[in-house]
Amino acid sequence: MFEWVKSFASPRQLSQAGVLGMNRRNFDVISKYNPRRLYPLVDDKVKTKELANKIGINTPHLIGKIEYQHEAKNILELIGNRHEFVIKPAQGSGGKGVLVIRDYRDGVFTTASGRTIGYHEVYQHISNILSGLYSLGGKYDTAIIEELVHFSDIFKDYSYQGVPDVRVIVYKGYPALAMTRLPTKASGGRANLHQGAIGVGLDIRTGRALRGVCRDMPVTRQPDTGADLMKIEVPFWREHLMIGALAYEMTGLGYLGADIVLDAERGPMMLELNARPGLAIQIANGIGLVECLREIDNHYPEGLSAPQRVDFVLNKRAK
Amino acid sequence: MLKKLASVRGILSILLLLSIVYAAYGIYYKVSYWGFHFTPRQSANIWTIEAHISFEPTGEPIKVALTTPRSSDAFKILEENVVAEGYKTSKNKEESRLVLTSAPKVDKQDIYYKIMLFDNIDTRGKIKADAPKAPKQPIFDEQRLAAAKQLLQLAQKQDGDAVSQIIRLLNEEPLQPAVQAYLPVKSTQQIMVEIITDLLSLKGIPSRTARGFRLEESKKALSPDLMIEAYIDGLWKIYDIKTGKKGLPDNFVLFQRGGQSLIDVEGGENSVIKFSVLKSITSSMKLAGRRAELFDQQRNFQYSIYNLPLAQQNTLKWLSIFPLAILVIVLMRNVIGLQTMGTFTPMLLAMSLVKTGFWPGLLCFAIIMVLGLSIRFLMSKFNLLLVPRISAVVIFVILIMQFLTVIGYQLEFNIAQSAVFFPIIIMSWIIERASITWEEDGALNACREIVFSLIVAIATYFVISSEYIRHIMFAFNELNLVILFIVMLLGTYTGYRLMELKRFRPLVKS
Repeated sequence: MFEWVKSFASPRQLSQAGVLGMNRRNFDVISKYNPRRLYPLVDDKVKTKELANKIGINTPHLIGKIEYQHEAKNILELIGNRHEFVIKPAQGSGGKGVLVIRDYRDGVFTTASGRTIGYHEVYQHISNILSGLYSLGGKYDTAIIEELVHFSDIFKDYSYQGVPDVRVIVYKGYPALAMTRLPTKASGGRANLHQGAIGVGLDIRTGRALRGVCRDMPVTRQPDTGADLMKIEVPFWREHLMIGALAYEMTGLGYLGADIVLDAERGPMMLELNARPGLAIQIANGIGLVECLREIDNHYPEGLSAPQRVDFVLNKRAK
Repeated sequence: MLKKLASVRGILSILLLLSIVYAAYGIYYKVSYWGFHFTPRQSANIWTIEAHISFEPTGEPIKVALTTPRSSDAFKILEENVVAEGYKTSKNKEESRLVLTSAPKVDKQDIYYKIMLFDNIDTRGKIKADAPKAPKQPIFDEQRLAAAKQLLQLAQKQDGDAVSQIIRLLNEEPLQPAVQAYLPVKSTQQIMVEIITDLLSLKGIPSRTARGFRLEESKKALSPDLMIEAYIDGLWKIYDIKTGKKGLPDNFVLFQRGGQSLIDVEGGENSVIKFSVLKSITSSMKLAGRRAELFDQQRNFQYSIYNLPLAQQNTLKWLSIFPLAILVIVLMRNVIGLQTMGTFTPMLLAMSLVKTGFWPGLLCFAIIMVLGLSIRFLMSKFNLLLVPRISAVVIFVILIMQFLTVIGYQLEFNIAQSAVFFPIIIMSWIIERASITWEEDGALNACREIVFSLIVAIATYFVISSEYIRHIMFAFNELNLVILFIVMLLGTYTGYRLMELKRFRPLVKS
């Protein structure tokens, strides 16, 4: 009984650690810096992609989109002679409804997990997306088909199937916290922490691993491959941060999460933006967000361009 | 940033304070003017007493005086009317007598007097009365005085207090010789009361006659029963003159207290008075209008929800518990931090539980969920489109409910019959959501969502299932305004949620 009580922190301890709680995030941060009218820019991945390309952010190429049920049968035409692609809902969140086809030959589709499915299942999936199964509030949605990312080899040992990504929290245009999310067997190849993926906090100046967390518990090794998580050092770190900084310019959202994947050939690419990024990143970094945000509020200059902001963060002296 | 926050909170706090003051006043007003109770006692006794007076005129001017009940804290006269053609009526307020006068008449006269009384049971035996004058000593000759004193001594061997002792002695079976000698051969209630009064006066206890009616369904025409009231310790206490039992018997309404004759007829003879009594039980809410009339507060009442037809009132009563349920949901989500399926789904579940009863409801919910989820899993193999698939689940849920109800009826197992109270669409959505969460996030997350939803539903259930709380929220609906501002204030709560204290525990610096 006493042990159980001990597993709770006191509110004072958390506030000393600068932890940002859900209520405070919603009331003090999101409702202040993220006007609701800006949400459609990030909720619809087609729109996000168009905007990103305009401002010069790299994203996976769009193969095509399907808006209406009767178009779903055109899927094979859209794919043409490609052998790999991803189908995802334009308004999905948390990686829901993403179907990764890594091999398509002779009418047989092989998914990321190695399962083979037929045309009907693909058709079914698209149909589900269109009828709003994965979108917020069950709204009718658009299915987008885009290029498969060939994620960089450096993550190979750290993730079990799926696509590992880097999440950067950007506050007022300044990258504040970052982590990489590594799919595990338990997470079913998905890079979602609440499904059991590993989060590894990254030093915002260097992209080096700080500490790992899985289901809110500290970890140092990837459970499926045994790789040492502390050796992670994300290359092209400046480019990662640039995507985050530019996302602020592009959307105007004062508080956002940018999900970035590292393609082996094309470098860091933005997958999606999130106007309500989760708070688990604090645990992965061992750093409370409140202090980060306060420091940016008080000590970071205003009116800098995106590259200047990134340089400011990179050149910041380590504490 | 902080200033703005403080001002929002400040405004809401002031509004909350105002609403509390308003609610407090509203409660005070309803209790004192409309007679609302804090307890959900549903009924209040209303007595309709009709007196039928008949007599033959003697040819002289007629004057009929009838003692009527006095309005007091214990009695509220709701309606009073007289049917007496050709009579002038007046009321002697001081003596509480109705006086009817008329010129000489020839034919047999019939006068009807009807009164509706509200018997305020709560105040019975609690109202302090001023001490009456010392009782007049009866005028006895020496022999009778000695006999009376002997009786008083004999009485002390009986059970009960002084009054009960005397009454019991006089009603003993068989009577002791001394008592038998003291009592007249043929005794009536009136004579008994007089004897008891005399004996009590000898002991120095003031007493008075009380007339009332014992309600018996079969008897329509009654003559009043007599009881005796004795003044003890500042209160008038009533005794049955046959058994000596203290307190009013059930189904007994007091009509008149104190001396005076019940009826005096001048200019008539062979006067007969017959009473009929009807007891009706009305909700105390219904009575409120009448009470409002008494206090001249009618307009306020007319525009309140308690003046609506009963069916609407019942609907509103059901609705007025919602705000409290919503408050529970807000607390569970924003202060405790439980993630549930849909925001108000747990509340709707709790509402169903109220209708089905707790355990039967939970069992039914479990059966529907298990059957529904298994069917949903089988169905996921068919790869149906979304809308037809959910529709199919809805139909399955309906079929399960039909099945449960029929089986429950045949096995005389009432539990299963409560299945019909669960909202079909909500149940279908829970099944659909659970199965999707199951497929995407794993069984663990799906079960956790269901369990959290149930926890919140059960917590909500315990708040709204209490008859007491339901009554308070309806009778004093101003409280809903208070809840509104509490909920809005919670909307500015930026502290940690209880679950976060555990979740972010690893971040605590040691």
